[in-house]
Amino acid sequence: MRRILAFLILAVCVEAGAHAQSLDDLNIQIHGYATQSFVYTNNNNIFTMDSSGGSLQWTEAVVNVGATPVPKLRIGVQARYMLLGNIGNAITLDWAAADYKVNDRIGFRFGKVKTPTGLLNEIQDIDPSYQWALLPQGVYPLLSRNSVLSHEGGIVYGDARMGSKGGRLQYWGFAGVRSLPGNDGYFLNQTESGETLPNGISFKLAGLTLRWQLPIRGLMIGASEVNQRSASGLLVYGPYTGTQQTKEFNQPSYFGKYENDKLMVAGEYIRLTVPFSVNLTGLPAQGGYLDQRAWYAMSTYKATSKLSVGVYDTQSVDRASPVSSSSRRFFDWVINGRYDFNEFLYAKAEEHFMRGTEFGFDQTMNPNGLKPNTDTLVMKVGVSF
Amino acid sequence: MKKIWLWMAAAICMMVLPGIARAQVLLIANPSVKATGVSKGEIRDVFTGNATSLHDGSKVIPVLLKSGETTNAFLAAFIGKSDAAFRASWRSLVFSGQGSMPKQEDTDAAMVEYVLHTSGAVGYVGKSAAHDGVKVLQVR
Repeated sequence: MRRILAFLILAVCVEAGAHAQSLDDLNIQIHGYATQSFVYTNNNNIFTMDSSGGSLQWTEAVVNVGATPVPKLRIGVQARYMLLGNIGNAITLDWAAADYKVNDRIGFRFGKVKTPTGLLNEIQDIDPSYQWALLPQGVYPLLSRNSVLSHEGGIVYGDARMGSKGGRLQYWGFAGVRSLPGNDGYFLNQTESGETLPNGISFKLAGLTLRWQLPIRGLMIGASEVNQRSASGLLVYGPYTGTQQTKEFNQPSYFGKYENDKLMVAGEYIRLTVPFSVNLTGLPAQGGYLDQRAWYAMSTYKATSKLSVGVYDTQSVDRASPVSSSSRRFFDWVINGRYDFNEFLYAKAEEHFMRGTEFGFDQTMNPNGLKPNTDTLVMKVGVSF
Repeated sequence: MKKIWLWMAAAICMMVLPGIARAQVLLIANPSVKATGVSKGEIRDVFTGNATSLHDGSKVIPVLLKSGETTNAFLAAFIGKSDAAFRASWRSLVFSGQGSMPKQEDTDAAMVEYVLHTSGAVGYVGKSAAHDGVKVLQVR
């Protein structure tokens, strides 16, 4: 990561020096946003918060600095502070990248970059940009979002216009390495059951996303496919040490969206099949797999210039889990409202009717076991500039 | 019968209002921009960050006016979004590393001055604003 930052700083200095530009010519921009949430649940605590008593333990703040030293080159870096229940409470690097756009047909981005998969992956952590306080957890689980959010490597992107009858095809091809520290929320349930990955885990990935803007104004359909190579990491369980390995797998995603002046309708389906094995010295080897299929359908309506309302339904099933387990399935019906006071300040309120415990619930904050249903109220206020 | 008339009136308003809004703003461009006319779709693509050139190959840079009547009229006519929604969509590009916020000018005069001196710049001003030296783009 230091190398990426050093490279970006060097790129700015070289460009600025070569063109003897003033700071104004560099078009340096500083943006940011911050959100504070209040979460209240019945039955179970969620996201490692004491939410059944009402919790304010979800705070995020982001600062973004970008510059355009020459018209085709953009560079930028974004840092995030995140507090979420018992995890987070740290400042991390969201992304740090250079983007060279040759023309509308082809561009390159490299560094630590957001991974362009699915309908919302690149913006799933950018709260001001969407209607919801909490995205569909079956497809965009909050606790493990780092496992899909970004990678170190590159992206080739562009679009092809196919005439007035063909619409427009956008493409993103990407490859690189994704690294997850051992204390990431992705490993939460494992960590709480006594298994730790002190060095985290890193894996190589490559993928392609296509989005076709159809000739019908506002209608887009798309698909993504990510190939994640096998990876292993050091695993510690009490006195035992060994390795945890995930084998190579593909993750497809299919999505669509229709949007006009007031109405937005969207949906997405993903399938995640991950074979894994655990080998601890002195204990029998264990193996298994995750077989998750999840989808959501959502709609928003702009009731006034400041008020938007929305609903979504998301469902997920892990077909590898026992049929009787409440963690096999996750259903969530959601109603939501967002009010934009002005271009900087907004508020969101959202009620979730969750059925099943596949996402968001941990053992430590629910020591008496999990109940099958959880109603969740999320209220959020955000400011961005 | 009354309902039918109401529906017809609403439909006529929806067809006519964007045209009225369009009539309230002038699209201006730096003289280096080759095109003399643009489609609404081209302007929408450029001002939403989806394109950096017009269909004739002219490389362009969008410039915004600060929030106000002219910007609202421009957004209603060409983008189909409120000012807050429009700026939120730009922020999502900025925060995901996919774009930089367009330059913003405070007044019509500052907009004309910037567009006049910036190769490829495309902006908009109120219909009655002085716009000497810049090219006025016709909407096809």
